[in-house]
Amino acid sequence: MRPWPVDIKATALSECRGLSMFSKILIANRGEIAVRVMRTAKEMGIRTVAVYSDADRESLHVFTADESVFLGESDPAASYLNIDKIIGAALQTGAEAVHPGYGFLAENPVFADRVTSEGLVFIGPSAKVMAALGNKTTARRTMAQSGVPIIPGMVDTEVDLVRLNQLAEAMGYPVLLKAAAGGGGKGMRIVDNPAALAEAAQAAAGEALTAFGDGSIYLEKYLDRPRHVEFQILGDSYGNLVHLFERECSIQRRHQKIIEETPSTALDSELRDRMGAAAIAVARAAGYVNAGTVEFLLDRNGKFYFLEVNTRLQVEHPVTEMITGLDLVRRQVEIAGGLPLPFSQGDLSRRGHAIECRIYAEDPEADFMPAPGRILFARSPEGPGVRFDHGIYTGFDVPVHYDPILGKLVVWAEDRSGAIARMIRALKECVILGVKTQIEFLLDVLSSDAFKAGETHTCFIDDHFAQWHPHSTGDESAVLGYVAWEMTGQRTVPSPGDVSAMADWTSPWHTLGAWDLAR
Amino acid sequence: MEYKIKINEKVYHVDAGLPDGLGCTNMLLDEKARSVSVTSFSDNYLHLKVDGQAVNLFTARTTEGIWVWVDGRARLVENADKVERRKARGPSEVMREVTPPTPAAVVRVLVEEGQKVVKGQGLVVVSAMKMEITLSAPYSGIVRAVNTNVGDQVKPGDILVEIEAHAEED
Repeated sequence: MRPWPVDIKATALSECRGLSMFSKILIANRGEIAVRVMRTAKEMGIRTVAVYSDADRESLHVFTADESVFLGESDPAASYLNIDKIIGAALQTGAEAVHPGYGFLAENPVFADRVTSEGLVFIGPSAKVMAALGNKTTARRTMAQSGVPIIPGMVDTEVDLVRLNQLAEAMGYPVLLKAAAGGGGKGMRIVDNPAALAEAAQAAAGEALTAFGDGSIYLEKYLDRPRHVEFQILGDSYGNLVHLFERECSIQRRHQKIIEETPSTALDSELRDRMGAAAIAVARAAGYVNAGTVEFLLDRNGKFYFLEVNTRLQVEHPVTEMITGLDLVRRQVEIAGGLPLPFSQGDLSRRGHAIECRIYAEDPEADFMPAPGRILFARSPEGPGVRFDHGIYTGFDVPVHYDPILGKLVVWAEDRSGAIARMIRALKECVILGVKTQIEFLLDVLSSDAFKAGETHTCFIDDHFAQWHPHSTGDESAVLGYVAWEMTGQRTVPSPGDVSAMADWTSPWHTLGAWDLAR
Repeated sequence: MEYKIKINEKVYHVDAGLPDGLGCTNMLLDEKARSVSVTSFSDNYLHLKVDGQAVNLFTARTTEGIWVWVDGRARLVENADKVERRKARGPSEVMREVTPPTPAAVVRVLVEEGQKVVKGQGLVVVSAMKMEITLSAPYSGIVRAVNTNVGDQVKPGDILVEIEAHAEED
């Protein structure tokens, strides 16, 4: 470990070392994460290249980039998962590096390898590290061998149903079927009893095949009401490794995270130090470089178990940025550019509390089924400590082919109760009309006694909100507003060339008391 | 003026007087009297004062009604009379059809023609937005036709399985 003095500026360093930052990067992703990466690139003076499919012709990330390259049909296999086309786009535009975002090819070692073999820089860990950690069963095996505690279960995948049955019996129900090739809840099924195992195995394998191109599954013991606590790690190519504290991601539905926060209410500084040290040990054992996340499950007795390493920037990275004041994408780009970390573990501190809510195009009244459509009106929340990373705008058609995430609403406040109050206020200001969202559901979760008490664990939604349905608060105001609106007669929308009519709309005082039925 | 306003399944009755010089109107909402004034800032933003309390509404118009956002909730507000006229035009069988909720790809067909099914039984599994969704039988009966195969791209409105209803099962 070579400690670098913190006051050396990155630019001075690069001059000393004869390195220069990339002049152009391609973002191999879409939606909110592509926009977020492009923003940091712009701030660093790096030109950006977007790639897009047919369904994304009018997506925000295309408008945000300096250049864009059309990939083809909307199906991910023909576009965002198509390595040849993405490499082609990078070479054609002269991009020097590729940022993969999250999902799609972000954890695909074949892609990472291809990027480097074409003379481009992959902004992430090496293909070798990715492959070793990306396969969940191989990773479990490595961790077990390194003495990192793992959840009791299989370290190999299994296809034989009889064998799976035997292993499940030996482990004791309930068990969890998981995909070896990826996460995000895809290919996961909880199995309570032997009768349900066969169908669950088939469903899990099918979903895994669709999501990751690999249907291999394995079994783990299912822990009772664990917390999902993950640690952000950052490593440069000189062997310096740090962790940027934890994120608590226990509020999940169908194994998809919906609310994340930091710090975790379950960690005191002693446990944080131990888990952080374990995260670094995992990263070091793997030879990790760039940004990654080490996930643990924390049981009710304060024991933690290694779950997996995500070899990419995660959806919920903003909460870490809020409490540390760091820009993780900037760090990723600098590390990929050969710069050392400008801080050591002792230099890092956290401040306050941050919460993130993922906002999905889902219908809470139809079991949260994806609900694509056109956004008729959108308005971002604002104010101190509010950040909204999204890929939407008024008039945008949310495509059906991809993950229905519309954006992430993130808040920071001095303490947890302040953050909860701020998130509630921000959600109420986060107007999205035209597609259904679960904002109302999020408001109920955040306002609940259980959430306020910090009793978050992975069965939280099932335990407290299984029978949730929307209520009618505010309907009376909506009715009165509708009537008042109708009574003003047909509101005329000024046509494009109608300048004088536009002038009438400038002052709100102009319309006060101006509706006059007796014409 | 009288209005019948529908939100979800509830119909509200509003009796509204004429606005006074300051743009304030007395409205009777389900027999409760309110004093309401409206300031409209744009096509999408209404500022209400109801009995002196401010309410901010965001709106978006569609052919079926107006989506209204208040404090984190969106709901479709319809003129109940217009809803009646639309219903009179023909019955909507949407809830009783075996059709995908979003454009999707068929990944598994679980039944065949002639098979007896019970309400809630899984019929077809489709994949959309990387999720697998099982379409189930809205009522018990016999499968009269299976109109799809694994690999088909289907969309809302496509009837994937037709079921002839039974009388109540024993």
